[in-house]
Amino acid sequence: MERLIRLEHVSYRYHDQITALADVSLEISRGDNLAIVGANGSGKSTLLQIMAGLIHPTSGRFLFDGSLVSEESLREKSFLRTFRQSIGYVFQESDVQLFCPTVLDEVLYGPLQLEIPEAEAMSRAFEVMEMLRIEHLKDRPSFMLSGGEKKKVAIASVLTMNPEVLLLDEPTNGLDPKTQSFLVELMLALIEAGKTLVIGTHDLSLVDELRSTVAVLSEDHRVEKIGRTEEILSDEELLLKVNLIHEHVHRHGEAVHRHIHSHYLFHRHD
Amino acid sequence: MGNKIPSFLLTRSAPPVFKGRPEKVKWPFLEKGIHHVATLIKQGYAQWESSTRKGFFQGIDARIKVFFLFFFILVVSLKREISAEVAIGVFVFLLVWSSRLDLLRLYGKVFFLGFFFGFLVALPSALNAITPGEVILPLVKLSRSYHFWVYRIPADIGITRQGMEGVVMLTLRVMNSLSVSFLVLYSTPFHELIRALKILRAPDSFLLIVTLCYKYVFIFAKTVEELHLAKKARIVRPLRAAEAREWIVGRIAFIFRKTRLRCEEVFKAMLGRGFSDTLRFYGPTKITRRDWQTAIFLGAAGIAFLLL
Repeated sequence: MERLIRLEHVSYRYHDQITALADVSLEISRGDNLAIVGANGSGKSTLLQIMAGLIHPTSGRFLFDGSLVSEESLREKSFLRTFRQSIGYVFQESDVQLFCPTVLDEVLYGPLQLEIPEAEAMSRAFEVMEMLRIEHLKDRPSFMLSGGEKKKVAIASVLTMNPEVLLLDEPTNGLDPKTQSFLVELMLALIEAGKTLVIGTHDLSLVDELRSTVAVLSEDHRVEKIGRTEEILSDEELLLKVNLIHEHVHRHGEAVHRHIHSHYLFHRHD
Repeated sequence: MGNKIPSFLLTRSAPPVFKGRPEKVKWPFLEKGIHHVATLIKQGYAQWESSTRKGFFQGIDARIKVFFLFFFILVVSLKREISAEVAIGVFVFLLVWSSRLDLLRLYGKVFFLGFFFGFLVALPSALNAITPGEVILPLVKLSRSYHFWVYRIPADIGITRQGMEGVVMLTLRVMNSLSVSFLVLYSTPFHELIRALKILRAPDSFLLIVTLCYKYVFIFAKTVEELHLAKKARIVRPLRAAEAREWIVGRIAFIFRKTRLRCEEVFKAMLGRGFSDTLRFYGPTKITRRDWQTAIFLGAAGIAFLLL
């Protein structure tokens, strides 16, 4: 399959002081479905932001469709436009992403930036809003939306640009179960539609549902392992090592149990 | 869900075709400004890192350092000789050097601020129209002198020796005060500084405001940085200055709303954890023999400069 994203020995340090990524190499092909998993602070968001061209590696290279993505290359008008059109990034905190006066303005912002004719932009906006069931919110300002609604609007604002790659940072974090399952269905549909989906998460049940290829980030900010969902999720030793599951001690009546515990995958008593 | 996916999402957008020379994007000034707010966080990290480094001043009790700060600013203000100010400057430089602080960064700030708030502010007083005396650099020759109320503008306007000495004196005072302040600031973790001020009976309301402002500056800078990245992710062409201004106005409103909510939440959290109107810290650490020795050394140095 055609390579779309290529990270070569990428390292990143925040403020020249704090290591967020150390020597990460990764390849993503067109139509791939990749989950980057790791404990808090392992560098998932940083990695996604590098892939979105929002920050640039301290060392190493990031190539998109064979072209080097750097601060310099993104200063070139043609490349900036192609790149931003191709990659859609949904932030973990939807609040920062929504900056237009109303929901409709928000979903129209991308297509209008791309200079898509207004009628087509409008049709895209309404189709996406209908798909995400947020049509009734079109005239509301973003601060009058619930957390789940904000997340849907943030996704809609990116989808109207029809990006090839969707980068979602903790997409189901802090959402109610109904919205979570709605988003899982949406992600599966987008994968089926041929979009390249990359999510950053520590929610193993989400990875299980999406049946993604999984890249595991360790707490020392390196790629510990890349494999299929079943291979990674059955590797208890690996998940314990990277702090995605933990040993749990609790009491059942008089008996004290000690077992490996994850809220979604394991709750197996010896 | 599959059959509800809009048809446009099932097609691959053709990459735009561009003709002619590749054009570079010019970002408006406002955009650049937002990006630079992020450097605030970097400076915060740098301060924390330098204050926890192993150096001469980092090892001293914060109370001694606060006393040193006030005492030396007093000494700097009282001295009237350029040579004494130079000697104080050299002494502070040695302290900065022995504390393994970043000399270039610290003195870069000292010189920059000293130039604007010392040299430039005082420069007009070097003219004989303001400070009479021996003209060492004639600048303008008028046909005659002018008298206006209590002021007199001489026919030969120039810089006087006495005026220049005053400018140098003021610049040195500003620079010395700044370097003493930066030395204490960069070698003391912020919370230690607040504790020291509390022990020295600084009013609680002042400390509370300073602490919350300090924390808020970082939250604010982080929020602005995130907003900037979110905007950057959806920008496919350079914004016009008017668009950038419009966005910034919208974001200011957002930050204002968020700040108000955050403010209420923080206050509720403080109340929930028993805050009444007094800041309480755990007991002060014991001042060690080394701290006393350093205090005596710094005190003696200050008195020596006063007598110089």
